[in-house]
Formats: sequence, C-alpha cells, structure tokens
Amino acid sequence: MLASPTMSRRRQSGSATVWSLVLFVTLALFAVTLYLIFVVAPVEKQMGIVQKIFYFHVPSAYAMYIGFGASAVGSAVYLIKRDPKWDALGVAGAEVGTLFCVIVLLTGPLWARKAWGVWWTWDPRLTTTLLAGMIFAAYLALRSMGNAGEVEKRFASGLALFGLIDLPLIHYSVQRWRGVHPTVITGKGGGLESEMYWALSLSFLAFTGLAALLIWARASAERQREETARLRFELMHQ
Amino acid sequence: MRALVSAFVVLGTVLVVPSALAEDAPTEENAPAQAGETPSEERAAQFVGVTGPDAESVPGGALMLAAYAIVWVLLFLFLVRMRRLQSQTAEELERLSAEIRASEGR
Repeated sequence: MLASPTMSRRRQSGSATVWSLVLFVTLALFAVTLYLIFVVAPVEKQMGIVQKIFYFHVPSAYAMYIGFGASAVGSAVYLIKRDPKWDALGVAGAEVGTLFCVIVLLTGPLWARKAWGVWWTWDPRLTTTLLAGMIFAAYLALRSMGNAGEVEKRFASGLALFGLIDLPLIHYSVQRWRGVHPTVITGKGGGLESEMYWALSLSFLAFTGLAALLIWARASAERQREETARLRFELMHQ
Repeated sequence: MRALVSAFVVLGTVLVVPSALAEDAPTEENAPAQAGETPSEERAAQFVGVTGPDAESVPGGALMLAAYAIVWVLLFLFLVRMRRLQSQTAEELERLSAEIRASEGR
C-alpha cells in the first residue's frame, strides 16, 4: 500500500528530526571523548602516548562490525523480499564498514610499529580483518560496475553474507588462535584504568552514532539514486 | 654429440656431488652449529647503551597524530564522496523533470 503524500512528508520530517538529534548527540560525544582521551586519560606506562591510538582504533573496528553487519542484514532481507530499500542498506553498510575497516588497517600498523617494532604481522586478527576488508571491497567493486542489474545485486548480496562469516572469526581469533594482538578488553582482559575505561566507553558510543548516521545517510542517497535510475528507465521505455 | 653431453653430465656430477656432500656432512667441529647454535665468535659480546637523544627511535607522538589525522581525513573524504553522489542524483532528477515537462508540452 502506498503512503499518502501527507503521511510521507510527516515521516520524512520525523526522520530528519531524529537524524539531527543523533547528529547532535554524536558530535557532543566526540567532543567529550576527545577531552577524555587527551586530557583525562593517563599516558600508558610502557607504550607511551602512542597507546592513545587505541581509543579510536578499537571503536573503529566496532563500527566496522556495525557496517558489515548492516550490509549482511540488508542483503539477506533483499534476497528474501527483493525490496530495493534493503539493497540500499546492503550497499550503505558495505561502504561504511569498508571505510572503518580501512581506518582500522591504517591506524593499527601505526600502533604496531611502536609496540611490536613492525608495521604488519600475519597475526590471526590482522589477517581475518584484512580478509573481511577484501570481501567487502569485492562487493563494492561489483556494485560499482555501472548500474548494477538484478543478477549483480543478488551476487553481491551473497558475497555480503559470505563476509558475515568472517566477523566472528575476527572477534574470536584472539581467543582461539595464537597471536600477538592485545586482549585488553576481550576474554580475560580488563586491564584498563578507570579514566581509560571511560574514554574508551564514550568513544564506543560516539562511533556507534557516527556509523549509524553514515549508514542512514548513505542508504538514503542510494535509495534516491536507485529511484532516479528507475525513473530514467521508465522514461526511456514509455 | 649425445655421448659428449653425457660425458659432461657424468663428469660434472662426479666433481660436484662429493663437494656438496662434504659441505653438508656434519663434522665434529661444526656439529653444534648444525643444531641451530651460533658460534661464540659470531654472537654479541657486549651491550652498549645509547648516549644522546637517540634513546627512543620510534616517535610515538608523530605516530599518534598520524593515526588521528587518518581517521578525520578518511571521514571527510567519505562525506565529500556522499555529497558528490547526492549532487549527481539531484542533477539527474532535474534533467528528468525537464524531459517530462518537455514531453508534456509536446
């Protein structure tokens, strides 16, 4: 059933209000988080100031999970319902997840250079994260080849579901396999001072808000792009 | 010709194999080295402390700044990309609207 123009306008206005509210809260959270990271949280005893990368690196990895998870959910529902709005969520999640994956894969080596003495090592968590990035980069490459048809969309959706399998591997790799990646906040971790803990917790919240906003905005843009492409197609064939 | 090549191969084998075997064969002198140990004269005999400002060679502050800069730059580039995508969609909508108006006027 189609929504009436009045209902549609009211819904759009409500969405814009919620979006603005989330944006405001996220910006405020980032401001407080940066204050906690650079003013309140102490410098780590062994690694020194480079440890402060941790407060953006770990929440970025968490935002990557949100992005790739949203992409997999959108793809799964699209495969069942064939509704373009779920496909838009799949694309938006893949893009935002890949963005945060790149952030994780670039900020991690900067920390590792100081902590481990190398830029990169084939640790299980690093390797599985790289693998996830490559799977979703393949998804985006597939979707960027002109206007994706139904077959490309379905194949890309399958790829996103395949990428989903890698997410628990990334998360549990530090517990299951031998590696060098720190386990400060996972498993038997917990070695954080209270100021560090608060900085990290607020950073998690800020990155959750940021990921949600980016996925929301990107999905909306993708829906509009798809709608425009559909209109163009109908105009050409009428 | 084939006999000549065969002769070279046999001669080469006879000459090379014994020397290769002799190098690989453990002797009493190099037996510990074969077990993965380094001869004493090749090992570090002393540790010397760094004098001057080179005590810390990896600049932690610069690495941290680079990491935070990467985060903000990538986020900014993503927003620019989204803005461009929306501009393209708006232009396309404008073009479609013009086409519809033109087709209705005909």
